[in-house]
Amino acid sequence: MAADNTAIIQMHHVDKHYGELHVLQDINLDVQKGEVVVLIGPSGSGKSTLCRTINRLETIDSGEILFEGKPLPEEGKELAAYRAEIGMVFQSFNLFAHKSILDNVTLGPREVLGTPKAEAEMEAMELLARVGVAEQAHKVPAQLSGGQQQRVAIARSLAMHPKAMLFDEPTSALDPEMINEVLEVMVELAQEGMTMVVVTHEMSFARRVSNRVVFMADGQIMEEGTPDEFFDHPKTERAKDFLDSIRGH
Amino acid sequence: MGVGDVIAEFGGVYVSSLLSTWLMTIICFLGGLALGVLVTVMRVSPIKPLRVVGDFYVQLFRNIPTISLLVIFVYALPYLGLLLDYRTCLIACIILVVSSFASENFMSGINAIGVGQIEAARSVGLSFVQIVRLIVIPQALRTTVLPMTNLLIATLLTTAIGSQVPLTPPELTGMVNYVNSRSVAGISAFVVSAICYAGTALVIGYLGNKLDKRVRIVR
Repeated sequence: MAADNTAIIQMHHVDKHYGELHVLQDINLDVQKGEVVVLIGPSGSGKSTLCRTINRLETIDSGEILFEGKPLPEEGKELAAYRAEIGMVFQSFNLFAHKSILDNVTLGPREVLGTPKAEAEMEAMELLARVGVAEQAHKVPAQLSGGQQQRVAIARSLAMHPKAMLFDEPTSALDPEMINEVLEVMVELAQEGMTMVVVTHEMSFARRVSNRVVFMADGQIMEEGTPDEFFDHPKTERAKDFLDSIRGH
Repeated sequence: MGVGDVIAEFGGVYVSSLLSTWLMTIICFLGGLALGVLVTVMRVSPIKPLRVVGDFYVQLFRNIPTISLLVIFVYALPYLGLLLDYRTCLIACIILVVSSFASENFMSGINAIGVGQIEAARSVGLSFVQIVRLIVIPQALRTTVLPMTNLLIATLLTTAIGSQVPLTPPELTGMVNYVNSRSVAGISAFVVSAICYAGTALVIGYLGNKLDKRVRIVR
C-alpha cells in the first residue's frame, strides 16, 4: 500500500482553545492518500479533538485544514457534502437507536446520495457480510454486542464510499474479547488502501498496519515517525514515559 | 333526580356533549403536538433568535392559567379588532398551552437521544433538516409516548374551561350547568360528566401504555 505523494488531508498551524485550555497548539500534519496515521498519547493530549477537527465536528480557532487541497467548508450544504466523503467511527458506536441495523447502513446512501432503496440494501448487505454481521441485519442496535455494533458503524461509514476514514478510539469502549474483531476489520481496510486517521491505544494495530505514528501530549505533536522508529527508539522523554506507562513498567 | 333519571332525560344531549369534548380534545391535542414540534425545532435550531423565541414562547404559555388566557382571548382580542367565536377562542387557547407542554416533553425526549447519534448523523452528511426529520423527531416521539399520554388526559380535562363560555352543544362540564338550569339534578349531573371524563381518561391511559410498549426504543 505504497502511499502516493498527494496529501489528501493537510493541517497548517491549527490552534484551538477550550476557554483557558489550549487543546491544539500549532498542529501541522499531512496525511497522504492511502496512508494510515495513528494518533497516540495520554488522555487529554488533544488527539481526539484533532481527529474531530478533520470533519469539523470541532471547529478551529486559527490555522487551516485542507482536504484534497481545498479548505474545509464552514457550514451548510457544503459542509454536509464534505462530511459525506469522510467516514467517522466513534468510541461509543453511535448507531441510530430507532433504526434496524440494515436501515442504519442504508440511511446515508438513500438520503444523502439518493441511492434507490433496493440498491442501497443490496450494498448494505454486502458490507454487513464483509464485517461479519449480516445475520443481524434486521435487529436493532441494542440487541447487538459492542463489537458487533462497532462493525456496523464501520459498515455505515463505508456505505458512503468515503475518501478517508477517521476512527476516534474505536475499541476503547469494548470488552477485551471484542477488540480484535473490530481491529481485524480495520486492518483489512488499511490493507485495501483506505486513508485512515486512527486515535487508538492499540499498539499492536499501530505496529502492524500504520505507516506513521503521531505522538501527542498537551495539545502538541511531540514527535512522529514510522511505528518501528517510534516504538523502539522514541526521541522525546514524554514519549518514552508514555510508552513505559502503557507497557506497565 | 338520580343519575338514572339524568341519563334518561338528558342522555341524548350528554352524548353530543361527550362527542363535543372528544372532538375538542383531539383538535387541541393534535394542534398542540404540531405546534409543539414546530416550537421544538426552533428551540434546537442552530439559529439563536429562533431558539430565544421558542424558549420565550414555552415560558409564556406554560406559565399562564388556561382560563386566564381564555379571558384575554374572549374579552381583549375584540378590542384589537379580532373577533373569534367562543369555540375558536377556546381551542386556540388550549392549543397554545398544550403546545408549550408538548415542546417540553419533546425536549426531554431529544435530550435522551444523546449528542453521539447527532454527530454520527452529521458525519454521514445529513443536513440539519434531515437530522431533525429522520433521527430526532422519530426518536423523540417514541420516547415521549407516556408523557404525551398524560398531556392528552390533561388536554381532555382542560376542555372543561369551555363551561365558562356559551357553547352549543356544551362540553361535559358546561353540560352540568345545562342540566341544572333545566331541572334539579344537583350532584347527579356532575357524576355523569365525571364518569365520562374518567372513562375516557382510563381508555387513553390504557392505549398510551400499550403504544409505549410497542414503540419504545430499547437502549
